[in-house]
Amino acid sequence: MSGDDWLRKDRLPHIWCAGCGNGTVVNCTLAAVDEIGWQRANTVFVSGIGCSSRAPGYVLTDSLHTTHGRAIAFATGVKLADPSLNVVVITGDGDLAAIGGNHFIHACRRNIDLTVICMNNQIYGMTGGQGSPTTPMGKLSTTTPFGSVEPAFDLTELAKAAGANYVARWTGFHVKELTKAIFSGLSTKGLAFIEVLVQCPTNYGRRNKYRSVTDQIDYMKTHSVLKQKADRLREEGNELPEDTIILGEIVKRSLPAMGVRK
Amino acid sequence: MSRVEFWQGNTACAEGALAAGCRFFGGYPITPSTEIAEHMARSLPKAGGVFVQMEDEIGGIASVIGASWAGKRAMTATSGPGFSLMMENIGFALMTETPCVIVNIQRGGPSTGQPTMAGQGDMLQCRYGSHGDISPIALVPASVEEMYSLTVHAFNLADIYRVPVFIMADEIIGHMRERIEVPDKVQLSERKPVIDPTHPFRAGCDLIPGFPTFGKGYAVHVTGLTHDDRGYPCTTNPEMHEKLVTRLFNKVESVRDEISLFETINTDSKVVFISYGAPARAVEQMLHDHPEAQIGHLRLKTVWPFGERCLSQFPNAEVFLFPELNLGQISREIERHTRIPVISIPKIGGNLHLPQELWEITERYL
Amino acid sequence: MRLVIDEVRCKGCNLCTLVCPYRIFKPGTIANRKGILVPVTDRPERCTNCRLQKIYGRTLCGMCQMICPDQAINWVNEEVYEPHRVVVED
Repeated sequence: MSGDDWLRKDRLPHIWCAGCGNGTVVNCTLAAVDEIGWQRANTVFVSGIGCSSRAPGYVLTDSLHTTHGRAIAFATGVKLADPSLNVVVITGDGDLAAIGGNHFIHACRRNIDLTVICMNNQIYGMTGGQGSPTTPMGKLSTTTPFGSVEPAFDLTELAKAAGANYVARWTGFHVKELTKAIFSGLSTKGLAFIEVLVQCPTNYGRRNKYRSVTDQIDYMKTHSVLKQKADRLREEGNELPEDTIILGEIVKRSLPAMGVRK
Repeated sequence: MSRVEFWQGNTACAEGALAAGCRFFGGYPITPSTEIAEHMARSLPKAGGVFVQMEDEIGGIASVIGASWAGKRAMTATSGPGFSLMMENIGFALMTETPCVIVNIQRGGPSTGQPTMAGQGDMLQCRYGSHGDISPIALVPASVEEMYSLTVHAFNLADIYRVPVFIMADEIIGHMRERIEVPDKVQLSERKPVIDPTHPFRAGCDLIPGFPTFGKGYAVHVTGLTHDDRGYPCTTNPEMHEKLVTRLFNKVESVRDEISLFETINTDSKVVFISYGAPARAVEQMLHDHPEAQIGHLRLKTVWPFGERCLSQFPNAEVFLFPELNLGQISREIERHTRIPVISIPKIGGNLHLPQELWEITERYL
Repeated sequence: MRLVIDEVRCKGCNLCTLVCPYRIFKPGTIANRKGILVPVTDRPERCTNCRLQKIYGRTLCGMCQMICPDQAINWVNEEVYEPHRVVVED
């Protein structure tokens, strides 16, 4: 595979901790970008601030590492000014759901032709493990020392409600499915949103009883259910446990999109 | 050849931007700058450009920076509260050396203040508002004609020096209608080409690196972090940070006398008015009313960077009188550059200084 | 094609040991110069997917490479195996 050709090899090894899932998402993204046949010269990676947002710095294309939460707004400018560029936004849960929530829902509403990949590690990793809008109820972080008391954000439902053309959720374990989902996202006209649950052993796992990297992967593996199965179970009148992670393609449609290459 | 129009300041600003080749506008409606956005929304699609109304001013300036990297001349227009929101991304534009034009039609502040009244209270904010040591360029028009010509000039300065350039107009100039001679053609400059693609942020002796437009195969990494010549983050190296920030600062400061634009009247007089923006018109009216009194006038068109050369145009000056629509923001800057007393004539509340008022103050010093 | 782990990039998270269907990767026991326990490959020639890649012209399984967050797993080309010629002495 030639995903390796897309890497800035002189910058590796990267800054992420051992076992961090962000690197896996970069692999899957680059594999999908390579598969779809985009050229390095007309692909732009945009990101905000946070662990996830360091990713474009390791990709050998034009890359824009912007201010906290504003990645989608910057990407909107790039895409509308030159629709011939393929724009991928790599962002994190704090970046996208907290400070950048407004830009996110409006990009979904505009259905602008971007692919947004959210590396959701359910914590603010770079600043040392503070609670984020996606930290599940009861989970520990440095700012939720007695367990988070706020309900967590379901980003895929948000994107769906706001009007994105493609919405999917996978985890850092399901690499093949994730690559396929990113491929579908890249080929979708309009906003494609792919949420990836990734493990954060240093700041999330350590405080929440996942002793090793593989423990958190195991948790994601055993607690995830495909959307089709979840729908079927619900139809049959079964209650899904609250911590179930619903994976798969949440929505795929072709609403009018903006900034599509002519 | 030129044509004569009767335009509002905001219309002239938008037309100037179009003439300067601006093909992207991202903004958010705010009184009293909305007419610029409205005019761009009508005109840009016809000119093959893009107008986008973003969800807030932060998104507005962000999209402008993005569009600038995609190779377009891009601008946004706002007023005080929106300008405050833009501060972080203005710092980003300065750090990443992104050319863009930001029009601020100033109103009465602080906070929501007086949306429909004039003020000049953002003059220090545009210089010091974003965190860190920055040095942007700020132009101040005082007529509808200058709203046009300085907007064109702002785009040229932005592209030459790779900095955000502010048009710090005020509500009076923005909403005033005046006769304007619109030139058929304006002079445009281009962005510097990249010399060494492997080190896109390496600058020559002019301290300005070439501009690696997205989509041309430079594979440039643009980051707001402290970066080296390749554009790669390099955040813990003190020498690297000092070198970068000093270069960004000196890039503009070292050429401040070239950038600095001003107009002078009666350069040998003892009492000299300094002004910029709308108060300049009150001063001019007063000079017109009292031709017998030898009163000098220095009208600044460029406030930042401040070129102190303009003060030496008045060798006989004994006092500088400085009317401003704020509590004396730029008069403090003048004091830093001269031993001659600077008398600030502040006025806030939205009304312009009356020529009569200025004359009464002038008489004390004649 | 033979699997190799790039010791410079590897941070020792052992995710490869989790996903390999042939259990080629074993958690490392000896710390390298950076103090990282780089996993070791246990008879990597057992991986059919690696060996058949060239014939099929595409990555067959590749789970270890895809999940490796440090981009440390790659394949290198191997020379075709040549049986040693037996020289019979006169």
